[in-house]
Amino acid sequence: MADPKHGIRVTIPSDVSYLEPIRTLIREIAALAGLHRDAASEVELAVTEGCANVIRHCYCNSDREPIDLTFAFAAGVFEVRIDDYGKFVDPSRIKSRPLDEVRPGGLGVHLMQKVMDEVTYTKNSWGGTSLTMRKRLARPGQEGPRKDRSGR
Amino acid sequence: MTIQVKRENLPQATVVSIGGSVDIYSSPELRGELKVALDGKVKRLVIDMGGVSFVDSSGLATLIEALQKVQAYSGTLLLCNLSAKVLGVFQLANLDRIFQIRETRAAALEG
Repeated sequence: MADPKHGIRVTIPSDVSYLEPIRTLIREIAALAGLHRDAASEVELAVTEGCANVIRHCYCNSDREPIDLTFAFAAGVFEVRIDDYGKFVDPSRIKSRPLDEVRPGGLGVHLMQKVMDEVTYTKNSWGGTSLTMRKRLARPGQEGPRKDRSGR
Repeated sequence: MTIQVKRENLPQATVVSIGGSVDIYSSPELRGELKVALDGKVKRLVIDMGGVSFVDSSGLATLIEALQKVQAYSGTLLLCNLSAKVLGVFQLANLDRIFQIRETRAAALEG
């Protein structure tokens, strides 16, 4: 998937103040990829949640660690990969809280899974976690949110 | 900062108006502003989200926290003026069933 002709890679510090500029960047890249505005908003949300999880759980809120973000688009798919250099997190331990258990927290993973078509965790070559999220580009005439947002 | 928060004490309710992004970066500021209203145990708290362009799970967590505190002292918390995009995030988390959401500030002030 990663085609250097159709992608961009940036490294940011694990500092939450960088997430707003990253969302601005996503809007620009998504426009270049031909992603619908609503779909781009969903990618913004998924990347914010993915990075927030890295900062909180992998880097224990340290704001000085690197996070690599790789955006690629080809063959009707927009792909984002988030790599950290922390400890690999066992994907089976990454869970959302049940939605009927109303309490603050535990919704980030659920939101990522709802807005993206594919969410996968693998161990990267540095021993950290690589989170890859994919969203299919809507064909002309199929624009707009692809899923029933409410999940109902 | 990526968030703007303004608090007004009106005869019908305390209104907290939010603008910008409500995310992991800005949520502490919102939590602080809400705390002032919650510590005063305001009977009716309206959060006007008309200026909010983005909300993430940290923003949702801050609002759930506020809702639970208001409910603990038998007050009322209402949200209003949510854009379709922001409402969509509430719907994804089924929180549109938990919060009292009104289309306009006037409707939220009424009940």
